[in-house]
Amino acid sequence: MVDEIRSKAKELLTDGTVECVIGYERATDGVTARPLFAYTAEEIDRFIMDNTCVHNLARYLLDRKGKPTAVVVKPCDSRTINLLVQENQIERDKVFAIGVTCPGVVEAHWGEASDEAQPRCVTCSLEVPAVYDYLVTMPGERQTRTGFPDLERMETMSPEERREFWERQFERCIRCHACRQVCPGCYCPICFVDQLDPTWVGIRNAPPENQVWHLIRAFHLAGRCIECGECQRVCPVGIPLMLLNQKLAAEVEGMFDFRPGLDAETLPPFAVFKKEELEAER
Amino acid sequence: MWAAEKSRANPLVPLPATISAVRELTIDVNLFQVQFGDGGGFPYRPGQFAFLSAFGVGEAPFSITSLNDEGGPMEFAIRRVGTVSTALHDMEPGSVLGVRGPFGNGFPLDTFKGKNLVIIGGGIGLAPLRPIIKNALVYRDDYGEVVVIYGARTHQDLVFASEFEDWAAVPGVRLELTVDREGPGWDGRVALVPAVIKELQPTVENAVAIICGPPIMIRFVLAELKAQGFENHQIVTTLESKMKCGIGKCARCNIGEKYVCQDGPVFTFDQISGFLEQI
Amino acid sequence: MSRFLSREALLAWLDGLREGGTVVVAPTLVEGVSLYRQVPVASEIDLDASVTVVSPKEWLFPASHTIFTVERKDGRVDLRENTFDGRAVLFGLHPCDALGVHLMDVPFLAEPADGSYRERRERTALVGLSCIRCRPECFCTSVDTSPDDPTHLDVMLTLVEGGYVVAAASDKGEALLASAKPEEKALSLPEPPAPEKLPTEDLPRLFRALYDDGYWGRLADRCIHCNICSYVCPTCYCFDMRDYPRGNTAERVQSWESCQAPGFTRLAGGHDTRGSKAAKMRQRFAHKFLYFPETFDSQLSCSGCGRCVRACPVNIDIREIISDLKKIGVSSVGSGEK
Repeated sequence: MVDEIRSKAKELLTDGTVECVIGYERATDGVTARPLFAYTAEEIDRFIMDNTCVHNLARYLLDRKGKPTAVVVKPCDSRTINLLVQENQIERDKVFAIGVTCPGVVEAHWGEASDEAQPRCVTCSLEVPAVYDYLVTMPGERQTRTGFPDLERMETMSPEERREFWERQFERCIRCHACRQVCPGCYCPICFVDQLDPTWVGIRNAPPENQVWHLIRAFHLAGRCIECGECQRVCPVGIPLMLLNQKLAAEVEGMFDFRPGLDAETLPPFAVFKKEELEAER
Repeated sequence: MWAAEKSRANPLVPLPATISAVRELTIDVNLFQVQFGDGGGFPYRPGQFAFLSAFGVGEAPFSITSLNDEGGPMEFAIRRVGTVSTALHDMEPGSVLGVRGPFGNGFPLDTFKGKNLVIIGGGIGLAPLRPIIKNALVYRDDYGEVVVIYGARTHQDLVFASEFEDWAAVPGVRLELTVDREGPGWDGRVALVPAVIKELQPTVENAVAIICGPPIMIRFVLAELKAQGFENHQIVTTLESKMKCGIGKCARCNIGEKYVCQDGPVFTFDQISGFLEQI
Repeated sequence: MSRFLSREALLAWLDGLREGGTVVVAPTLVEGVSLYRQVPVASEIDLDASVTVVSPKEWLFPASHTIFTVERKDGRVDLRENTFDGRAVLFGLHPCDALGVHLMDVPFLAEPADGSYRERRERTALVGLSCIRCRPECFCTSVDTSPDDPTHLDVMLTLVEGGYVVAAASDKGEALLASAKPEEKALSLPEPPAPEKLPTEDLPRLFRALYDDGYWGRLADRCIHCNICSYVCPTCYCFDMRDYPRGNTAERVQSWESCQAPGFTRLAGGHDTRGSKAAKMRQRFAHKFLYFPETFDSQLSCSGCGRCVRACPVNIDIREIISDLKKIGVSSVGSGEK
């Protein structure tokens, strides 16, 4: 399988289709994966592809606007391309998507890759990328979508318990903003949290400010989060951020029957206005 | 075993001061006179700067544009461009603000003595140069010929215009003004600052060039001065960089290993020639 | 003969200090995450903590803290400095973290010293714990400390059967131990572990030579500038200062910020002295391996704790960078530019 990726990548570099192929290589722990920007055939030989390849590489397309780039995408990552094309952030014809079918990736952190599937994979219904120019099959037995188990557990809690739960989570936020930096949907030139005039979020690292940060960010991603789960994976203090995103994703799906990034044509609910929606509210 | 002594002063805490007067210099630049409660200030040298606080909004660094030796209040020429400068512009005489300083090395005045000065400014960049000009007027005999080349986008953006006449009236002092774009009310020179240097060909021998302006101007002026034969050690510039602390700690303002707040803001071209792409 | 404290005696000593008004800050498990926190009772300390996720700098240089508060009243402005006049024990520092504190002392205590930091630092005693094992990403012996090094500490503990061998490493530590009542026992200390040794000698010179190398741009390709490395790092000390207004009062807040953050060096007019990904990337490592040693007596600004290695979501590995600089520098491959 990785041979197919390598030979396609070399072909794309050689014939000048792209200048760079973004794939995965083994990390320095010898166990997990890391992104690799390959500009030469020798670098392409370092590519790997397995269930430790957790990163959403399509996020890097935001750093390579206008530059012909090939990128290895799993199904969840592929939704990034549709999202960013639809939001006019990248040009589809500058991107060559090497799609990889995915049986799910595992919890992989420095020095250890467990057998356990990531929470995002449990809730994922895509086996084949939503968009690709070339398709490779990653072997492995696929998990089936089981709804949002963590979210369902959360919904059984009382509002008071939920508030207490989230306060506990936000208390330890160090406001590194890594969740934003890794997010393919967070590309505002100046993020609201960095704005000074007006100041939306105070500089203090304290639960009220931290809560404003996380909740506003989640709302900015409502109907846009493509559920790659990268925010939760990177959070250095283990805040279960995908719970917020999944809650909003479930609401949007329930209300509008819409999941972002599945194609580049269907307009997202927050980009269109339908008169009957206004009626329904009444 | 535990620290018994009371904490010494925290250099990150400003002293409250009062705006004693405000004068409009251009449509978006005001001159603020600032005094501490006792009517004084702190001693400072040309080229040094201070942080001004608009309490509740924040703090930003501004060069001190007055000359310490003239006495009188400290002056700051401030362009309305960010949140702090906007808040300062909204203040009136009598308003309280915070002041921390002075910071920075200032100009090496001793090395300028006996030399011809070529003072080159762009836009609000005249503010840090004004004390040098004033100093050369007050201690006229200490310097040779003084040429001030000053440009702005339009003639309405020239700061301290009301003082030009007085400066140019002093024997041995020449003021050469230029603007990028012509407009009604201006019949003077329309040219970029480097072009004016090329046109005037200031004397290189026994001269020192002192520059302050936007980074793009500094880069082209440096190139032109080199073309005119100025040596690296004859070129002095002040740099602007984002800074928060002023005491070499917050690690924002450094260009290479030089901290603009402590090692600068005044640098000789020798010091920064390796980091040109970063200014 | 060594001085010995059983686990219970150790906790009793800490609780005694705590009851006497000393703040005890130690590794605890917060929702399963190993972090330094002020503990309400010593039994909450995670005595087996390895390297915490976020470094103990959180105590001396908090993620955010108020320097002063101003209050506007009747046209007057009243400015009150925020002070810490208690005392604290920062407990459970492994030698890398003790070096980390020293490497924060160096810039923050250099005159003019940061007042808030100096105040907390002078009023804090450091109680260390030597390492009985190391992790794959540890490299403390490459940066001027070692798993059982008491330098920079006030008290050093070493885990032995049933408790700890305790030794004062400073006068402050000796005084602190007055209430510990250790037993005298003949004990032998365990053999310390041997972490990986990296080629850190000559790093500033190598860095200087490769300052303009294309290496930094290639490294920056995969960096998402997420700031995690700076925030977990015991020696990263970049900060921001902003106001936090509330009605008639406003607090001036000093908070962590990372050199990788968007807008870190962007001026109000838009000019950015480190606008490119490569320039940002180089700044982080140049500060540690070039600017800091050139400014402060040849010391590298790295404690070898490996936190950034473990926490980086895209495996930017400081150990690999050290080795790469050596490799590229020695073979003089040149730019390797893309």
